[in-house]
This record gives sequence, C-alpha cells and structure tokens, in this order.
Amino acid sequence: MVEKNNPLRVIYGDGTLGIDGENFHYIFNYGRGGLESLVFNGKEWLYREPAPVFWRATTDNDRGNNFSKKSIQWLGADQFIDVKTINVSVDGKKIKFPSAPENNRYSNHEYAQKVSIKFTYTTLTVPSTEVTVQYTISSDGVINVTTHYFGNSKLPELPTFGLRLIIPTVADDFEYDGLSGETYPDRMAGATKGTYRIKGLPVTPYLVPQDCGVHMETDRVTVTRSSVKNNADQDKNTFSLTIKSNNKPFAFSCLPYTPEELENATHQEELPLPRKTILTIFGAVRGVGGIDSWGSDVDNEYHVPADKDIEFSFDILNSASM
Amino acid sequence: MTPKLEWLDDPEVFRVGQLPAHSDHKTYVNSAEVTNGHSSFTQSLNGNWKFHFSDLPQKRPVDFYKVDFNDTNFDTISVPGHIEIANFDQLHYINTLYPWEGHEYRRPPYTLNNKQIEKGLFSTATDNHVGSYIKHFTVDPKLRGKKIRVRFDGVEQAMYVWCNGHFLGYAEDSFTPSEFDLSPYIQNGRNKLAVEVFKHSTASFIEDQDFFRFFGIFRDVTLLAQPQVHVEDLSIKPTLTNNFQDGKVNVNLKIQKDNIPAEIQLRIIDQSGKEIYQSKQTADKTVNFSNIELKNVHLYDNSDPYLYNLEISVIQQNGKALEVIPYNFGFRQIEIKNKVILLNGKRLIINGVNRHEWDAHTGRVVSEEDMQSDIKTMEENNINSVRTCHYPDQTRWYDLCDQHGIYMMAENNLESHGSWQKSDGVEPSYNVPGSLPEWKEAVLDRAQNNYELLKNHTSIIFWSLGNESYAGDDIAAMQKYYKSVDNSRLVHYEGVVHNRQYEDQISDVESRMYDSPQAIKEYLENDPKKPVILCEYMHSMGNSLGGFKDYMDLIDQYEMYQGGFIWDFIDQALLIKDEVTGQEVMRYGGDFDDRVSDYEFSGDGILFADRTPKPGLQEVKYYYGRKK
Repeated sequence: MVEKNNPLRVIYGDGTLGIDGENFHYIFNYGRGGLESLVFNGKEWLYREPAPVFWRATTDNDRGNNFSKKSIQWLGADQFIDVKTINVSVDGKKIKFPSAPENNRYSNHEYAQKVSIKFTYTTLTVPSTEVTVQYTISSDGVINVTTHYFGNSKLPELPTFGLRLIIPTVADDFEYDGLSGETYPDRMAGATKGTYRIKGLPVTPYLVPQDCGVHMETDRVTVTRSSVKNNADQDKNTFSLTIKSNNKPFAFSCLPYTPEELENATHQEELPLPRKTILTIFGAVRGVGGIDSWGSDVDNEYHVPADKDIEFSFDILNSASM
Repeated sequence: MTPKLEWLDDPEVFRVGQLPAHSDHKTYVNSAEVTNGHSSFTQSLNGNWKFHFSDLPQKRPVDFYKVDFNDTNFDTISVPGHIEIANFDQLHYINTLYPWEGHEYRRPPYTLNNKQIEKGLFSTATDNHVGSYIKHFTVDPKLRGKKIRVRFDGVEQAMYVWCNGHFLGYAEDSFTPSEFDLSPYIQNGRNKLAVEVFKHSTASFIEDQDFFRFFGIFRDVTLLAQPQVHVEDLSIKPTLTNNFQDGKVNVNLKIQKDNIPAEIQLRIIDQSGKEIYQSKQTADKTVNFSNIELKNVHLYDNSDPYLYNLEISVIQQNGKALEVIPYNFGFRQIEIKNKVILLNGKRLIINGVNRHEWDAHTGRVVSEEDMQSDIKTMEENNINSVRTCHYPDQTRWYDLCDQHGIYMMAENNLESHGSWQKSDGVEPSYNVPGSLPEWKEAVLDRAQNNYELLKNHTSIIFWSLGNESYAGDDIAAMQKYYKSVDNSRLVHYEGVVHNRQYEDQISDVESRMYDSPQAIKEYLENDPKKPVILCEYMHSMGNSLGGFKDYMDLIDQYEMYQGGFIWDFIDQALLIKDEVTGQEVMRYGGDFDDRVSDYEFSGDGILFADRTPKPGLQEVKYYYGRKK
C-alpha cells in the first residue's frame, strides 16, 4: 500500500532501517554500517555495503616515485573502516536513533516523504580522520549520496577518494555520458565528449595489473546486468541502475576487481575469474604522471592532498523508472 | 684463413672476410622484375635449418662445418628466429646491468689500465652459449654462372661462417647486414652453409640495449647473384637550390666489373611517371653523375612525402640490361639556422616515438604486416618521427618511412650503459668505448655500416651515434666520420650531456632524456648553445602518459625546443602459453626464471605488445595533432 503524499514506507527494524516504495526497496544495516540492500524491481544491486575508498592499485609510476610507500596507510584504510555514528532524519527532522526499544513506538505502517541516514566513519589511519556518507531518499525513490572527507594535514596524500559499490554479479555492459577512453585528470585532453557503451568489464591489460578504467567528467553511468544471485529468479532479461551527477560531473570506474585484487596480481592471468562488478564513484582522482617511471612525481595540481576536505554527491536511480 | 675462437675476446676483431658495407639498393634483371618486385638475382635461405645448441663453447661440435660431418643428431630451427624463442635457451630480459650480472665478473678489455685482452673472457665462458646452424642448398638455375654472395641481415651476437667446408669470415654488429663472397666455393649441386653463432663476444659490452637478450639468426638470409657488371654501391645526394625551388642531384656509383664493356644509364622519373632526366656513361670502377639540375622540384616532407624514382640500368653492348636498380629519393633540406632546426626552411617540430622492433610472438623478428601496422598507427596518431632505438632496423622499415614521410633518427647499434650508469649515478671507471683506441675501430665500423647501408633514405634527417654510452674520443670520432661523409643531415647523441667536455665535438643538438619541463626551461633560459630535442620522454610504462601538455606548451614558448620522441612505441612482452590454463598470456622479464631481471620495465609502449592501443594513445593523437 502506497500513500500518494507519503510514498516512502519506513520499516524501523531492530537492526536495520528499511525503506520501501514503488519498484524499490532499501535496507540500511546499523551493525554493518551501511546500505546493505538496494533493490530495484526485485533485483538486488549490492553484494556488500558501499564503503569509502582511498587506495588505487599501484601504477608503474606510483611504484617508481614511491608514492604507494608514502601513502601506504590508505591501503589499510581502504580495506577496513570503523563506523562511529549513525544519524537518521525523517522528513527533514532528526529522529532519536530507532534501535530497540526506541523503535517500539513505530508500526508496520510508517510513511514519509524523505528519509536521510548518515554514517560517520573513522579511518584506521594515524591520525584518523572522519568520512561521512549520507543517503537521502526522496519520495520518487532516488537516493542522493553525499560523501565527505574531512581533511587532516598530518595524513599522507590520498591515492584516490570515492565510494565503492560492490554489485553481486558481472555486468553485461555499462554506458556513460562523459569522455572517450580511459582518462585521468592529467590525461584527458585527447578525449572526446559523448555517450559510450562498454561491453563487459574490460580491465586495461597493463603488463602488471594496476589502477585502470577511470572515466573523468561523467554526467551519467548506467550499469546493465542480466544475472542475479537469487536462486528463485530465473528471469534473464536485462535490468539497469543509473548513477547521475549532482551539481558537478563525477569520475568512475566499473571493473570486476577491487584495488586490492589488482594490487596483488603480477600478471593479468593471476586475476581471479570475474564474478562481481565494482562500481566506484570518485570525488578525487590522482593524475598518472608521465615524465618517467622511476621518481618523477605527478604534477602538483593533480595530487589529492590530505589536508583539504573533499565532498562529492551523486544520485542513484532505477533506470526502469527514468 | 683460420678462424680463431679468441676473436670473441678481442674488441679489435669485429669483422673478418666480410664484403664492405654498401647501400641497400635492390638489383633486378630487368624493369619487368622491378614492377613485380621479384628479383632473379636473389634466393632466400630462410626456412628450416639444421641446428645444434651447446651450452659451452668447448662443447660445440667443432667439425660441423665440414662437408662430410654427420648432422643426423642435429635439431631443426626456423630461420629467421631467436634461439631463446625456439626454447633452446632461456629467455632473459634485463635493462642496464650486463646480462651476466650475478653470474660472471667481467671488465671490458683495455679498461682500468689493462694492457691486454683477457684470454677466455668469452671464448671459454660458461655463459657463452653456441648455436651451430647448417643449411644445405642448391643454387637456383637463374642465379647460376654469376658471382654469388650470402647476406645475413641480422645475427646476434657474433658469428663464424663457412661454405662447403671453407671458412668465409666472422662478423659482429648484430643489426646490420654481413655479406660474404661465396663465388670461389659455390658449386652447382648441393652446397653447405655452416654458421656458428655465439651469444657473447666483446660486442656484448656495446650491445647492452634495454631489451630481451636474444641470440641467433633473427633476420633474413639471402643468396645474391651479381652479373658481370654490377652496381656495388649507390649514393644519391639530392640538394635544394634557388630558395628551395630547384634541385641538384649527385649520383655516385661503385661498379664491380669483369672486363666487358657496358654503359650505365640513369633516369629520373617523377610520380606521374614522366621521365625528367636521363643520362648515360661508360661503366668504370666508379661512375659519377654530377650536378644533375632539376627545375621546380617537388619538396618532400611529412605532409607530402613526394619521392622521385631514380632508375639505374647497366646496359650491355647489345642493348640488353644486365641489372636494373630502382631507388626512391626526395628533396628536403635539414639544417640548423640561428640555433633552430629547419626542414625546408621551416622550423621542425618532432612529434616522435622510439620504436624497438617487436612482435609478441617472434620477438625482434618483425613481419611486413607488423611494419605496415606500425606505419598506420603512426599516421593515424599524428606521429611524424621515429627513432630506431637503439640499433638499425631491417631496411624495409626505412623504405616505408620514406614512403610515408616519417622522419627518422637512424641510430647506430651502440649502447653501453652497463659500463657507466651505476646505482649511484654516472660512474664511468670502465666505460667503453670511452677514449680507448682498442675500441675505436669497432664503433667506427658500426657508424660506417649504418651510414653506408642507409645513406640514400630521404626520411633520415638525423644520424644518431648510439644510446647511453657516455662520451669520449671514440664517439667523437664517430661524429667526425658522419660529418666527413654526409653534410646533408644532422648528428644526434644524448650521452654527451654527461661529459660536457665533448659537447663541441659531439651532437648538433642538445638532446635530453626524461628531463622535466622545468629542467628544459632552465637550459633554454640560460644562453643555450644548441636546439633542444628530447630523444626520450613521456615514459609510457603501464598507466602513464599524464602531463603531456607541459611538454607541448614548451613548443609554443621556445623556438629552440623542437619536440621529442616518446618512450616508446610498443611494449616488449611475449605471448606465452600459460602453464595453468593453456591460454596465451603476456609474459615479461623474470617470468622465465631469468635472474637478474628488470621484470616489467620493458612494457613502456603506447601500444600493448600485441599492437592494440593503450588508452593513452588518444592523448598522443591529440597533442601531436596540435603542432605539426
């Protein structure tokens, strides 16, 4: 049952916050510290909770100029993070955190127009800093995600900063409005603006697997799949999820591997069989450099300094409702 | 003449019994053959050869060259090909350090005040593997009755050659042709060619290129027949006069002739097929067509690589041709004026790449398709120049660059960075060739091989003395040699920046590698002596090629900055069958248990090793398309 004026049904669970609407259903898990389930039209889009990312698989130039060594803390931070606080707002008002028994005052018929949940993470760096990820679901089911890094001058430069969505199965393709080819902040002049559809999840076959597949200046990316992990779902039709820019274009990569998987391989054939889709939306990307591969740094303007705040925002939409 | 194994230990022995280096012109029986491209003067010896691999010089089959040698125990190998890729020897990639690092202690002869060669340095060394090749062949009827020589276009790294049991000679300089006269020994029936190839000789000290270390016969082997009167060497020197409007050509021939009369006819034909010049002279030991004047010539450059066809015919008294030689040439002028390099009077901008010869299946055995594909990639991506790092390529590549207007920096086969680039920087205590007289002739021979072979290629605008070999009297002598034989091109060498006392004697340009844009600015802001080019820049290893703009902006800011050559064109990696999946996968240094190695450091191309483009290529196309 959907109320016209308050289309979001809110389920105040003991361990989760569920949000249900027409053709969408989301579940935020307090204990796991993030969005555990993102379902459009009955299809699950998340394998594990989205998490902030800081690491990029070492490029040959990163290795040559010791950047990875200088910024090694971010490798750990990329793999593990602490959830510090979770705040929930309904229709613009912060509510008392709805854990048990606080949630006994709700029913199975709770509706809202807008729900917002903000996770505050502390990074496992020395010193640590905070990252917040705020999900705001509006009445049409669109999820706005705003991610914020709090700068700390005592931390090393960041390899990258973004939010990683791990999608349960390998995508058939992705289509985006942005720049042609693989682009980085210091390597995008030769690209052409347009709409591009990339079949499969190609990993650029650099001799040693390394960070790759970044697409700068993107306004939209739509990921399309035809497989699910749900054993009861035999439907083979394609279905899609779309990320749209909010205020300014974003960078993204859509690969079958995490930076850690890429980092650990010395050859392409050592990479595992692709089984998932790793869609990362970046708020900051470090340039690749090119002067040499044994010491020269990336131009200063293409670094990601640790002392400045970084914030980026995008919308997650159900492609079927667009 | 008796071959000696000690030649391997002696830098002063580098060619024995070889015919002198000469131009790379092709000879045909008549013009019909010129048109269809098949010469009755040539017979390919490519294909399967009998082969024996020995892991020690002392274990090699010493008598294998003899006619009655029983070779039934020999294996078979495909020529051209690398012995390592045929899996007889271990694949190995290493960059600067000599390939024997961690296995052998060696110093180059005559360095560190040593007054004599070290016996057995290579001739009895445990890392000096040997390939013994045998080819039985019958001379094609069309070649019979003529003088016959054999040409090896490329053999790494030192070889001894025999025909029908007779010793012909010895050759080093792996990347230029070696020719031996077979005429005294050849017979109409079955002939036997025997080639003993060594992995190392003193040449190893000056062929320390950053690449897979291969040995073997890796380019074509051809029999070449010469008629009674034969053009042995052809030199075409076109110049421009009258403010680039008119042309003047000097054509000088060296003729080999028996005592029969003949005439040499020279024709010049333009691209519409029109004959614009014709002349005849009596054939003598040398024939010179001097100061041929041509009005209103079509200039040659990258955007319009206009070539004229020069046709030389050797004509007998009965009017029939004995030999016909076609050669394409163009008119272009390269010079430095007011410290700026000019091509046809206009400032030259080099949008270049370094290109190693590479194929992911066959290594440095590169096919016509590979070369055609490389030309296409260059044209499609606004690449206008190529440096033949760090050795002469097969001559077909120069023909293609002529045709497509790709400016060439034609580099000598010389690289000795292991002798002076040490972990703490420049340390030339045992540098070769340095100023050592005992090494001078070997490097001069390389300069001469490079010049004589390639002198008629219009696309060559720079001779390059080599790569990363430091600087001394010997390299200065190479520069002097080039200047003495060729006043129409510039000479390039980067290594002199590490030993500036030679900078007035070596290199017409200030050449740098991997300098930051800021470092180039500093040179150009401080009373620069020479125009600047980057013989290597934008190191394209893995995910790289960022920050291109900073270099391209220098072109606008400084007239004396004239561009550079990206390092490099194609990843050097090998497609190997994966031992786990059976799939072909890309492998690199260290993947063959080869130690010491520099692993993935040879993967620096703007193309992957299978010639698919890396993502950065669109950036190259964009920036190289901005300034031409």
